[in-house]
Amino acid sequence: MNIHDDDHDDALAQRLRGLPSERVAPAAVWQRIAAELEQTPRFQQAPAAPALNAAAPRRMQRRWPRYGAAAVIVALIAGAGVLWLPQQPPAAVAVEESSLQHQANTITYQYRQAMATLPQQDVAAELQPALRELDESAGSIRSAIAQSPDAAFLLGQLQRTYALRLELTRKGVNPTGLST
Amino acid sequence: MKACMRHLIATALLLAPLTSAFAQTAVNRNLPLSSGGRVELSNVAGSVTVRGWDRNEVQLTGSLGEGQRLEVESSANRVALKVVYPQNSHSSRGAVLELRVPRAAQLQTSTVSAGVDVADVDLRRLQSSTVSGSITANGRAGEAELTTVSGAIRSQLQTSRLETRTVSGGINAAGASGGEVSANTVSGGITLDLAKVQRLSAESVSGSVGVRSAGLQPGGRVNLETVSGSVSLGLPANTSAQLKVSTFSGSIRSDVGQVESPRYGPGKNLDARIGGGDGDISIQSHSGSVRVSLDR
Repeated sequence: MNIHDDDHDDALAQRLRGLPSERVAPAAVWQRIAAELEQTPRFQQAPAAPALNAAAPRRMQRRWPRYGAAAVIVALIAGAGVLWLPQQPPAAVAVEESSLQHQANTITYQYRQAMATLPQQDVAAELQPALRELDESAGSIRSAIAQSPDAAFLLGQLQRTYALRLELTRKGVNPTGLST
Repeated sequence: MKACMRHLIATALLLAPLTSAFAQTAVNRNLPLSSGGRVELSNVAGSVTVRGWDRNEVQLTGSLGEGQRLEVESSANRVALKVVYPQNSHSSRGAVLELRVPRAAQLQTSTVSAGVDVADVDLRRLQSSTVSGSITANGRAGEAELTTVSGAIRSQLQTSRLETRTVSGGINAAGASGGEVSANTVSGGITLDLAKVQRLSAESVSGSVGVRSAGLQPGGRVNLETVSGSVSLGLPANTSAQLKVSTFSGSIRSDVGQVESPRYGPGKNLDARIGGGDGDISIQSHSGSVRVSLDR
């Protein structure tokens, strides 16, 4: 590890420390990160050479930002996986989830079932940006629910977003049929 | 021979705009409507201007684009006007329409990209929806429902019940809108400057919510929600309400009450009484900042 790497690691560590402490990932995500870290060959293959033992603590200290960065990446991947869990019926989901998350998953599952009945490819082009906006917003709300399982108002937001997405998709198949 | 060709081309170029103008069809229809009757107008593109008048009839003037035709259904209590566009009419101009409506009528407009401008009206009910067109509404209406997808909504209606909804368009309502007001967006910002409200609901996902109100009517309720958008609420100092604010990771600043955080874990909340506390104000945001200010 050269000086440049040290500087880079320090800067990265500083940025990581600067992240808002309130944004705590749910317990299930951390469990998944831990499992991923244990199974990752890169970490398992690191040999504990006797000659390097004296320098090991310091090296580990230098390397921890890398592990932190890896954990963040794994958390993002795991988070993306959580978003797609409702492709299966909620009963089949075997992760620990709050009551709010369970309701959100149920709503998402029902929403996706309803969406599957609509001809997506025929939706008017002028509605596509709004539909993308709604999809991204639904993802943001689901992430917020995962972070804040007591915020019941988020469930209403999710329902409203899905309802609007369905309504626009239905009407978007024939935009001239849009009416109040 | 070359000179002759040049003249022909020049003449054709000069006449092209005139040909386009001739392709437009003038509209001028007057239809009787009894007091309190319903008026429906549907137009995809172009523009729609609505004005009120003191006659018991509906008048539609303006021009239709190439290949467009007007469908009319009329009875004593209902007039329905619909501009029918030809198939594959992407290149044709939209219809430019001006509608005159009697007092106390119930008006419903529906457009896709056409903007809607309503003013000088005194309606029993106004419903206006667009996809990408903007809606501007002035005048009086017993109740109003304005919805767009990406178009902006600007309302200065005097109404006791206003409902606005967009996906990415902004909502701006001012003037004497009071009573019951609801504003919903996904990413569009909400700006409300209202008279005393009985019931106010403003919700967005990522758009900001800014509300000023002359206060709450007795027992009035205010509910503001965002996921990541900021929230600001301004009220007069003599407001009487119970205030509850909670955020997960956003900040809270308030002229009244103390912000509390749990010893462990995220979140902030504020619970305070303003004046006698007979109304209810609830503000919830996941990560947006919240500001509550009382005029001194």
